[in-house]
This record gives sequence, structure tokens and C-alpha cells, in this order.
Amino acid sequence: MSRAQHRPTSRQLVTPSKRRRAPWRYGAALTAGGMLLAACSAPAATTATNQPVGSWADVRSEARGQTVSLWMWGGDSQGNAYVDDVLAPAAKKAGVTLRRVPVVDTKEALNQVIAERQAGRTDGSVDLVWVNGDNFATGQQAGAWRCGWADDLPNMRFTAPDDPLLTSDFGTKVDDCESPWHKAQFTLVYDSAQIADPPSSLAGVLDWADEHPGRFTYPAPPDFTGAAFIRQLLYSVSGGYENVPATLDQAAYDELSPALWQRLRDLAPSLWRGGRTYPRDSVALDKLYAQGQVDLTMTYGPATLTDLVATGTFPETTRVLPLAEGTLGNASFLAIPSTSGSAAGAMVVANLALSPEQQRLKADPQVWGQFSVLDQSRLPAPEEKAFADLPASPVVPPYPVLSRNANPELSSAWVPALDEGWRRNVLAEVQ
Amino acid sequence: MTRTRRALGLLLVFLLLAWFLTPLLPLALWAGAESWSGTSSLPQRWGAGNLTSVYASDGGAAVLRSLALGTAVAVLATPAGAVAARALALRQVRGPRLIAALLFAPVALPVFAVVMGLNVVLLRLHVPGFLGITLVLVVTALPYTTFLMRAAYAAYDVAFEDEARTLGASPGAVRWRVRLPLLSPALAGAAFLAFLVGWSDYIVTLLLGGGRYVTLPILVASAASGTGNEPTVAALSLVALVPPALLLVSLGLLRRRLNPRRSGSARRSDPAVSPLPLVEGAA
Amino acid sequence: MRATLVVAAPVLAVLLVVVTGLGATALQSLGLMPLTGAPRLSFAAYTSENGELLTATGLSLLIAAASTALAAVVGLATAVAAMSSPRTRRLLTGLVTATVPVPHLVGAASVGLLLADGGLLSRWLGASPGTWPSLVAGRWPTAVVLEYAWKESAFIALVVTATLATRLTGYHETAALLGAGPWARFRHVTLPLAAPALGLASAITFVYTLGSYEVAWLLGPAYPEPLPVMAYRLFTSTDLAARPEAMALAMTTTVIAGAAALAALALVRRTAAWR
Repeated sequence: MSRAQHRPTSRQLVTPSKRRRAPWRYGAALTAGGMLLAACSAPAATTATNQPVGSWADVRSEARGQTVSLWMWGGDSQGNAYVDDVLAPAAKKAGVTLRRVPVVDTKEALNQVIAERQAGRTDGSVDLVWVNGDNFATGQQAGAWRCGWADDLPNMRFTAPDDPLLTSDFGTKVDDCESPWHKAQFTLVYDSAQIADPPSSLAGVLDWADEHPGRFTYPAPPDFTGAAFIRQLLYSVSGGYENVPATLDQAAYDELSPALWQRLRDLAPSLWRGGRTYPRDSVALDKLYAQGQVDLTMTYGPATLTDLVATGTFPETTRVLPLAEGTLGNASFLAIPSTSGSAAGAMVVANLALSPEQQRLKADPQVWGQFSVLDQSRLPAPEEKAFADLPASPVVPPYPVLSRNANPELSSAWVPALDEGWRRNVLAEVQ
Repeated sequence: MTRTRRALGLLLVFLLLAWFLTPLLPLALWAGAESWSGTSSLPQRWGAGNLTSVYASDGGAAVLRSLALGTAVAVLATPAGAVAARALALRQVRGPRLIAALLFAPVALPVFAVVMGLNVVLLRLHVPGFLGITLVLVVTALPYTTFLMRAAYAAYDVAFEDEARTLGASPGAVRWRVRLPLLSPALAGAAFLAFLVGWSDYIVTLLLGGGRYVTLPILVASAASGTGNEPTVAALSLVALVPPALLLVSLGLLRRRLNPRRSGSARRSDPAVSPLPLVEGAA
Repeated sequence: MRATLVVAAPVLAVLLVVVTGLGATALQSLGLMPLTGAPRLSFAAYTSENGELLTATGLSLLIAAASTALAAVVGLATAVAAMSSPRTRRLLTGLVTATVPVPHLVGAASVGLLLADGGLLSRWLGASPGTWPSLVAGRWPTAVVLEYAWKESAFIALVVTATLATRLTGYHETAALLGAGPWARFRHVTLPLAAPALGLASAITFVYTLGSYEVAWLLGPAYPEPLPVMAYRLFTSTDLAARPEAMALAMTTTVIAGAAALAALALVRRTAAWR
């Protein structure tokens, strides 16, 4: 059998006509173009952002059988265990299946919700998100959160209605769009074996750093903890939080920030690596601290400290460094996206998380150690007593002690301004 | 081989061993460590608790999901890449340069940007998560499979096929008994790479899966984002190494079955040395 | 004809994903697909970071070039060593199999644990505080390059071995029979046969390293940062207005990586063993 019969040469296959390959190329381009048009055509149909909640009984019956996907940061093994082993079974009793979706950053959940909004979906895959200030504000900008449900939760009656931490989230009005979950306090942590006589103010800490070169550093903004440190320092160089307006004001920024950048620039040569580089995030700083490269670290979630010391990640002599002028405090919340299809189930779970029993279980340092958002004076007597009987953590002082003199947070508009200012005025200048 | 040459060869192998294994050492040590302070050279306490806790948490289900994804990508991307490579190598299509550039393009794309745009389109079309992830990952794997096979075709002599045909083999026999065994190492490599694209992908699974598809890399990434989770990350990573290793072993066994004359020393049975036995082997 | 049809499927899939994804990125960078508000064409996103753009591009190219060069050398050495005997081949294949599946995230974490100031190597070698060189997050991206080179050398070794295995031994024997020494065999047999695979794998490595952010994110300094890290930082910013800037950076990275890809493909096509 000749070669020519069974194996046509490539020349025979390549037809001179462009007709044969044109159709599918154009078809492909058209399909892709069509998809693109579909993507960027008119904005998504408005979802029921402000659909009024029926009676609680209606919500509970609608929630039965629903599956709720809770998107939360997965880096805290105690938190994961609490949701999987304590909260989820409790939700099951109410007929709701709670699924935890671990994410590296809440922004991933936010991006998913925004994409779903752009696509006009109402049966989205995000039902409940553990959010904090800046993500909440960003989401409000994009219409990502469902509103008009939080104040109707039965367990809201145990919270103080005028608690500033619960009515405004990083300066953005909560406005019935999210339900509170934990309270947190920005905390400096030090190794008492290395620092025998710790300073008692933030200015004192920076002076200590000047005297001990290479033993202190802070995470680079835009990391959440690093940004909080910058804000705390802004309060300190401005002579107290009363001197810094909560809402971003260009005049105030221009007046107050130069002192901040100057102090950080003066501090830089005494920092780890001479201030030429900074840990990428709080995890990197914690690693430096654990490896004995620096003597201080910082966190906005002191609940994790107990477990870190218990497992030996942090040295045993780790202690919380209280500042006389107080530190930033805030609350974190659970928000329901406007694209969620299981909103009723999500509300039931949020209500459950707010219940005195769950807040108490969560506050146990052996379980999670997250501070409660409830007002102790509004709790029934047995619950109040149970809270008081919680074991103490060897590392973290109780919340009333830790939050003494708590400073309010600035509005979230300050955050990107300070982050960018830090990059321009401190990081780039020290190179 | 002289003694110095053999010694140099041994030294090279030893250096390569050190090069590949050293970065894996921290992982191996952490996987077996129950407690390791940041300042000591070795863990204070050893234990197998980390590995068992992987299965206690969602680890087992995540492994199965990753397996499904990896297999789907391998099954789709390997033949597609092989066929495209053959068409390019034998110049059977018009505009090979454009097609080659197109098939190479996915490597040059920043994944998160592309996926964000695609996510909206897929959501609007109500495409199920698994399908969307598989489509994007197959496209991501295509450069690897296509160009691995393209390079293999550059070292491949099509004369073997011609010779088999002149000796009377049917096109099917040519394909299955000549082309496939000769290309089997490259095909195995391509399938392995495609499987890995699906197995170890994080960002596409996260963004297009809508949280419903929690695979092993998602567990690893979320564990790595917290302090003090090195044992979990290490245990998960070690668990993540096992199925690809098993896959490579099984691919090797499959190759040996397809082409038994190539087992053992490659020298003896290499067709480049002695093409005649091929006819008997083709029966 | 049949070949054209069969090739059409993968090409269509690639076109779909690439055009849709890149298109959406481009539109977002031009302000035509905003997350909030009305679409409005604007080139502001492209002009806002000019000063840092050059530094970032230079750093990206440096990291990519250094990683690819090192990975190519080690990968080729591994492939050649693997050809010497079946036992060595099994050992090296095993090593490569253990390395390639490790995701870059985990690899970076592991290399970080190894090479950091207070890391394992520094502890094992007994370095006193302050004397260990700044490999991680230092002035030069040493740890970043090492991690990329480590993983990609395994990838290159895998690709080159897979293609060399198809044909090498016969030529080696012929050349040896004809009296060529080992170095001559390497230069005239192994290297030309391995060149296309090596070239392509190196091209893939270069382009991938140019566009990948995870390793530089974990192991690199806060400043200067390569292009993809800057893009990712802006992409995850809480300020939604930074999103178009992130997309503009992503487009820039794509253009540079695309140019690099085309150049690499052209170079590989020139090698003698290419058909």
C-alpha cells in the first residue's frame, strides 16, 4: 500500500481556502464576545436588600431544612473547631445545616458576593460572612449586604442598644445590616523573659525600641494588624483619640499625619532589619516573635493567644502589655449577603450565635476565648453567674480589664488613606 | 567509566538529592511534631496526631474532591494537548504559529484577574461550579500538555509509523502499537502535569467553586493564613503528596504493560537500536 | 481537515477563557465594568503608579530570569543524571515526583521556615542573632529565586526526561561506538535533543514566574515588590477604587509576559531538532 494513499501529505491537508478555518474562528470570537456582553450588560437586578422580615416564627419555619454556608477566616483552628463542634450541632437542632467555608481572607467572600450581584443571582453560595469594619464598609458601597433583619433577632435584647461598638462598625453605621458576634481589643504582646520592666504607653514602647535596636517591628499596612498599629500610633502622637476626628477630614489628615510619619521614620533605623523591610502580615510578625527575632508582637484578636502559648508556639513567658491610654477596640459581626438564598436559615444561625449560651461557650478560653458582645446586666441571673464562672486565661486578662479606656475606631475611610500614606512617607523614604 | 567519572556522577546525584530534599525537610519535620518552639533545633515532642487530625476534619472529603478535579483535568487536557501537538508538529493545520501562541497563552495570564472576570459570566449563565473550574483548569493545563507533547514530537521519528505501515500494519495498529508506546513517557508526563494542575489549584477552585468545592489546597491555604498552624499545613501537604506519587507509579506500571520490551534496561529494547523486533512486538 | 477540527476544540476553549477573562480585566481597568456606579471610560488606572511601575517590572524580570536560569541548569543536570542508569532514574524520578506536586504556597512556607533569620538552617548551623544573611525579605530576592528554581527545576527535569526517554539511548550508543567521549556526547547528542524540551519548559517557567505572586508575597520584602504582588495588593484593597488599578497592572503583566512568551517560542523554533 503506497504511502500516498494512507498518509496524505500535509500539503494536501492544508487547503488554500481560508473558508474552512474562518467559520470556527469567527464563531469562537462571537461566542466570547457574546459572553463578554452578557457580563457587562446592565447591572444586576436588585435583590431583596430591604425585604422586611416576617415574624420570628415565620423565619424559623422557613429556615427548617435550609443549608447555610458560613464563610469565615480559616486560620484559627479553635474557631474552626467551635463552629464545627458546637455551633453547627446547635444549628442542627433548629433544623438548619451549617456549613463552614474556610477562606484566607474575608475579601474572598466579598468578591464572591459582588460577582453574584453583578450576575444577578439570588441563590448565591454565600449565606453568612464573618465580617469586620473595612470589609463591611466596602460591601455597603457595593450593596453586598442584606439589611433590615438584625434588630429583629430575639437575642438582640441582651445587647446594650447604645453600645458604640455595636452601633457603628469602623465608623460605618451598622444600620440593621449585620448582627454582632465578638468583641476584640488591639493588644500588644511581649515576652516577659526578655523585657523585665515593660513600658506602659505606646510612646514608651517606641522609646524602648529605640534603645533596643532590631527587637521590634510591625506588620506592613495594608495588613489589618499593621494598619491598626498605625491608627493607634496616630492617637498617641496626636495626644489622645479625642484629638483625631472619627470621620476622614483632609484638613485633619494634613495636620496630624506628618507627626505620625516623622515618628515612624525616626523609629525605622531601630527596627528589625533597620526598617528597610517589614513583615508582610501579622502571621509573619508572629513567626518572628516565636523564633525569638523580636520581643514584641501585636494582635487584634487576643483570643488566639491562650492557645498559642498552650501549644508551645509562643514562649511560656508571653504576656499582654496593657497601655495606660487604652487601645483600639471593635466588634466583629455576622452579615448576610443580599444574594443569599437561605437568608432565613442565616438569621436563625446569627440569632443562635448571639444567644447567651453560645456567647458563654465561645468565651471559654479553652474553647475559643472570644469576648462576648452581650451586656452582662441584661442577662438572666443564671447566665450572668455562668459568665462570671468562666475560667481565666493565664495569658489574656479578662475583657473588662483589657478594654479599660478602650479607644473608639476611626471611620474606615481613614484606613486606605493611612495605608497609602505609610507606603509613600515611611516605606519608600527609608530605602 | 573511570573512577573519577563515577565519583563525579555520584557527587552530582548526591547534590541533586540535597537540592530536592532540603526544602521538604521542614514539612516532614513539622508533620511529625506535636510541639516545636521557635528557637529549638528539633521538635520537643513528636507524634502522629497531626496526620490523624487531617482525616478527623474535612480532610478526607477534600482529598476525594481534589482527586476528582485532578482526574477530570488530566482526562480532558492530555488527549487534547497530544492531538494539538501532533497537528502542530506534523504541520497538519493552517497557521501553526498562531495556534501555538494561543495554546501557550494561558501561562501568561494573571489568574486572579482572569477568573474574576470569568466568574461573573459563569454565574450569569448558571454554569455549575465543578464544570466552570474544570474548564478553566483544562485551559490552564493545555500549555503544559501541548508543549510537553510538542517537545516529545521533536524527538520522535515519524519514520517508525511509516515503516510499520509499509510492513502492513493498519492505522489502528499504528496508533496503538507504535505511536502510543513510543510516546508513552511523554504522555505519562503530560497526564501527570495535567493532574497536578487540577490537584494543586487554589485560586480557580476558590473563586469559581463558590465555596461549595472545598479541596485540599483550600484547606492548606486557610490553615497557612493563621499563626501556629505549621503542623496542620505540613500534615496536609504530606497527604497531598501521596496521590500524585501513586499516580506516577501507576502510570509507570501502565506504560510497562503497554510496552513490555521497554521495561528494565532501556538500552536493550530501544527501537532506535534495533527496529526489527518491533514487528514481532506489534503482534 | 480532521486535524483542524480536532485542534479546534482546545483552541476554542482557550479562546473562550482567555478572551472573556482578559476582556473583563481590560474593561475593568478602563472603568467600563465598575463594581459600583456607572461605567465611564478613563485611563487613570494606567497612569497612577508610574514611578513604582518601572521598579516593579525590573524586579519581576530579574526574579523570572534568575529562577529560570537556575532551574534550567539544575533540571537539565537532573535529566542527564537520570539517563545514566535505571536505578538513578528511579531515584531522581522519585525526588521529582515529591517536588512537583508541592503547591508554591506550601513550598514558599517551607523555604521560609528553612532560610529565615530564625529558621531551621540558621538554628542548625548555630548562627548567632544578626549574623544570618537576609535571604528572606532581603534586598535581593534570594529566597524567592531559590524557591522558584527548586520547584521549576523539578518541572523542567520532568519534561526533559519525558522527552529524552523517547530517543536518547540509541544515539548515545551510536555516538559511543563512533568514539565520542562523554563531553562530546553531551554537547552533540544530549544537548540538541534536549534543547526543544528544555527551551519550552524554560519558557513556561519564565512566563509563569513573571506572573505569579504567591512566593514573592510570602518571601519577598514589602518594598520593592514585583508586578503581580503589587497587582494583588491593590486587588485585595478595601478601597474598591483601587480595583481598576489592580486590573491595569494585571494587563501590564499580561502584555509583558505575552511578549516574553512569543520571544521564547520564536527562540525555541530556531533549534535544530525542532520540526
